[in-house]
Amino acid sequence: MRFFTFHLMPYTQLAPSYEGPAWVTVPNALYDPRLGHELYNRYLDELVYAEELGFDGVCINEHHQNAYGNMPSPNLMAAVLARQTSNVKIAVVGNALPLYDPPTRVAEEFAMIDVISNGRLIAGMVVGGGPEYYSFSVNPAQARERFQEAHDLILKAWTEPGPFEWVSKHYRIRYVNPWPRPLQQPHPEVWIPGAGSVETMEFVARHRYAYMGIPYFHLDVFKRYFSMFRDACQAEGYDADPMQQGWLLPIYVAETDDQARREYEEHLWYFVKRLLPGITIQPPGYTSVRSLTNILKAAGTFMLNVDTWDEIVEGRYAIVGSPETVTEQLVDALGQLGTGNLLGLFQLGSLPGELTRKNMALFADQVIPKLRAEFPDGTSVLRPDAKVA
Amino acid sequence: MPTPLTEEFLDTPIGKIQMFRGGAGAPLVYLHSAGGETQLDVLDDLADSFDVLVPMFPGFGESEGIEHIDGMEDAVFHLLDMWALLELDAPLVVGLSLGAWIAAELATRYPDHVGELVLINPVGLYIEGAPIQEMFGRSPAELAEMLFVDQSHPIAALMHSFDAFTGDVGKQTEIPLEIVIPMWKALGATARLGWDPYLHNPKLRARLRRITAPTLVIAGARDGLVPIEHARTYAAEIPEAQLEVIEDGAHWVPFEQPGTVATLIREFEAR
Repeated sequence: MRFFTFHLMPYTQLAPSYEGPAWVTVPNALYDPRLGHELYNRYLDELVYAEELGFDGVCINEHHQNAYGNMPSPNLMAAVLARQTSNVKIAVVGNALPLYDPPTRVAEEFAMIDVISNGRLIAGMVVGGGPEYYSFSVNPAQARERFQEAHDLILKAWTEPGPFEWVSKHYRIRYVNPWPRPLQQPHPEVWIPGAGSVETMEFVARHRYAYMGIPYFHLDVFKRYFSMFRDACQAEGYDADPMQQGWLLPIYVAETDDQARREYEEHLWYFVKRLLPGITIQPPGYTSVRSLTNILKAAGTFMLNVDTWDEIVEGRYAIVGSPETVTEQLVDALGQLGTGNLLGLFQLGSLPGELTRKNMALFADQVIPKLRAEFPDGTSVLRPDAKVA
Repeated sequence: MPTPLTEEFLDTPIGKIQMFRGGAGAPLVYLHSAGGETQLDVLDDLADSFDVLVPMFPGFGESEGIEHIDGMEDAVFHLLDMWALLELDAPLVVGLSLGAWIAAELATRYPDHVGELVLINPVGLYIEGAPIQEMFGRSPAELAEMLFVDQSHPIAALMHSFDAFTGDVGKQTEIPLEIVIPMWKALGATARLGWDPYLHNPKLRARLRRITAPTLVIAGARDGLVPIEHARTYAAEIPEAQLEVIEDGAHWVPFEQPGTVATLIREFEAR
């Protein structure tokens, strides 16, 4: 197992009087740069703390024009972390490739991070969320084409000697020759987050990358998605490795179950009710009909529709409790999913710094060792009795 | 007496195209809006006087080839292919909204291929101070409010009935796939033409002077999507164009006032 601390870097004080979505049109007059200063520095410290606690890596991601996650440029954050940490993997999950034109920008910046960090980058590549297509005016009906071409260009830029000329439908570059090249050879580990798009799973399987389940769905949805992903790998003629799969979810550990809920619940609802609205907007043409049909099967089980604590617990939208409870629920869930990477959101919504750090420390001290013992490296994480819902 | 149109399929260089056709007389090509409408009383009515041809644009209905369409240049070349297949020389072209924009692009670039032109609530222009409202990411009920005067019109009522689907896939539990999937395809195809720039071609306005076909512009005064300045601008820029404003019409005026629209087209034709 590998354990990662994932940070969204959310805005913690979205004005109570504002009732709209947290994406695209949320007025930026509501953003207080003074608070932002505190938050960025606190959040970076939390990621640095993850290294002290023995996590295998830290994760950051890219979102634009929203209150849910204030990282329009995750590469800036990765650059800071490359200097402030020395051992952890730095997973940028990821760069939204169609938003970079030319996409050689991604090849360059990722290579810079990899070289500065002495080969600790995990290169995440994403199509980008639906809201980003509104925020950038990039044509969502061309999102998949652009992603595919940009990916091929970046991988070629990393693995074949330059200069060469690149010609594809959306990108034509006469001289591709990025300096620096990545330190990891032939290229950094590639992760692709997905939220049920069949094409994405097939793409990840074909390239033998790692598939990261985008969070906030009922556990049964993830069981179905990871099962589909393993089938996609089978179709490519191999068995998926647990390290090719990652599950991302909010986790909160406190001294007892009651204390955990008491400390955590209001911050979780702030996240669900204030920061999530607007995240799942699908612009036209963004998803194929085949994938839309698959995604719509899961629509009712998205966390936005959850209103009670019991539903949170039952669906494993978040795993919250004493170290024993959290360990037990994670052993069960990981055994059903088969994922070798656990990506925890230890800060969520408005959860304050002190509780975030206590959560991380308890998890690292009392949960990680048990999970490592339960799922030894090199063995299957999937339990033989796991059933797809 | 109204003549119902019948379905046929054409093999074009970019794929199979679904088309509805009926009536007899001079050819009238109807280019549909982003709604992909083909079954309209006004078309059955006009089939009494014209050979009415209603091709579905690639990506709409069962028409293929949208992957080859990245903008208006591709759309216009597709129409030229259609004209050749159908042995059309310079037909009367009637377009609604998106279809009117496509018709204007054809008529500015290849004026000889358009005999007469009827633009109903056309998009295609950017007019400072009179923006086209956002059509993407709207719930069907919000769209119905923009498109119809009478919210009890059967199509408007249907749109109100599945208000849940906004394209926000995280929010719904019960979604009628048989309605959502055609809508999803239609909006995706529209996005290929009109996502960016949003429903306009910055160069079109200055090209309107090139149109040689006699032109009628029809505008619904209560259009909630496209301000009437757009129709006025088309009418002012196209040489000798005629403007007809339907006071109690909205964006989808052919749905609500088929008789009025058919009469305007017949009168224009008989001028």
